[in-house]
Amino acid sequence: MNVFMQRLLCSPALAFVGLALVWELCVHVYAPSPRYLPALSTIAQDAWSVWPQLLGGFGRTLLETVLGFMLGALFGCACGTLFTYSRWMERSVFPLFVVSQTVPVVAFGALIVIWFGNSLLAKVMTAFFLTFFPVTVNTLRGLKSCDPQRIALMRSFGANRLVMFFKLAVPSALPQIMVGFRVAIGLSLIGSVVGEWFGETVGLGVMLMEAMNADQVVRLWVVMFACGVMGALLYGLLTFVERRLVWWRSES
Amino acid sequence: MVAQRKLMASPVVPVLLSIVVLLVVWEGAILLFKIPAFVLPSLGAIVYHAFTDTGRLMGALMATLGEAIGGYVLGSVLGLLLAVLLLLVPLFERIVMPLAVAVNAVPTVAYAPLFLIWFGLGGASKVALVALAVGFTMLVSALHGLKQPDQAAVNLMRSFGAGSLKIVWRLRLPVAMPSVVAALRIGVPRSMIVAIVGEMLGAYAGLGRLIYESTQQIDLLSVWSAVLVASLASMVFYGLLVWIDQRLVWWR
Repeated sequence: MNVFMQRLLCSPALAFVGLALVWELCVHVYAPSPRYLPALSTIAQDAWSVWPQLLGGFGRTLLETVLGFMLGALFGCACGTLFTYSRWMERSVFPLFVVSQTVPVVAFGALIVIWFGNSLLAKVMTAFFLTFFPVTVNTLRGLKSCDPQRIALMRSFGANRLVMFFKLAVPSALPQIMVGFRVAIGLSLIGSVVGEWFGETVGLGVMLMEAMNADQVVRLWVVMFACGVMGALLYGLLTFVERRLVWWRSES
Repeated sequence: MVAQRKLMASPVVPVLLSIVVLLVVWEGAILLFKIPAFVLPSLGAIVYHAFTDTGRLMGALMATLGEAIGGYVLGSVLGLLLAVLLLLVPLFERIVMPLAVAVNAVPTVAYAPLFLIWFGLGGASKVALVALAVGFTMLVSALHGLKQPDQAAVNLMRSFGAGSLKIVWRLRLPVAMPSVVAALRIGVPRSMIVAIVGEMLGAYAGLGRLIYESTQQIDLLSVWSAVLVASLASMVFYGLLVWIDQRLVWWR
């Protein structure tokens, strides 16, 4: 019992419950204008009143985020591998990748709709554009940090390049690649929310824009919480996969 | 032959080559496939437009740069200070870190409307947005760096009578510098992009405002030239940081 209490007191959950209580109490005591800080209960009520739309938007944005992330992760891993084994490619193309990250992708929202149509693909591409870079950088860094002594050892046993890649380089790079994935998943969510601002009918980004234009502050909070829940969910899922996949060393 | 090899070995040549290839592909595609200007304008037209419209672009750039740099500095300083504080008071870390992670799970763009309500349409809301986006990266990265030193080294300093603050200043901060600099680098393009996103949702001035208005008027050349200016500005900003980093490697 004592140990249980101790663990409870140290758990992050307590911090959340504490904050929620303080929040609710402060709003009732000081009664600030709902424009600045609505009560948690008001937000929950509002969320309950629009839950079918909220659920639909959540699913749609989740789909865009996951697709964009997978595309970006695949492309990033491929490019990172290419850059590792071709110094020429690294020196000529990698700087362009860096430059591409300074381009404010939001500015191209309207253009992306012109290019890819007002479809799922347009949002996936926005998410993809934000995700591929961190994965590329971390894959490159991970593959390059492979211990040269181990390479020499495997080579002395006559391993060919393919075996060395899959048995040595990839496992030793995985923790670093996972770091890239974790950065990318958050960016992917940003990409799909922003992508929805430019002509779409379902999604959390759409709800955000609608709430802003209609000046519904409470609805803004609802959407923010929904985005936060999705972000935390995806991040948690990735951490779980990481623990399973890179059980021998996890850089947390 | 030797001269040729030297040319290839210099870091600039491959980059230039790939830029030239990119430009040729860009312009060639427009000529070959007769791509209409609203889908992809020629680079010449964009640069020409940027030069004829310098006054408006520069005014917008100055507003955006002011917000981005203000938020960048504010966020970096606050993030670092908070990291030191959390390090010194472990109880605080247990309470604040879960909350900080939860706040970070919400994509920055979802906060933007709320910040506009809280801080108004002027520069303050963008500075706050940028500071939040940059500050969190700094907090996580700096905290990670500050925890790097060996417990043995900390114990040694403590046995010689050094206080907690002294240990932070003499041992932990120098060790954490690479992490801090990494966070500073990540923050540069992010600060520009977040400032522009904030301006697109509502502002009186700035590149984001310009992009939003031009998109509404389907003046896509103005969008492209604003994007060009924004990218160039963040590249200069980034280059400056790398240069400072290389000059001030006193911690290595």
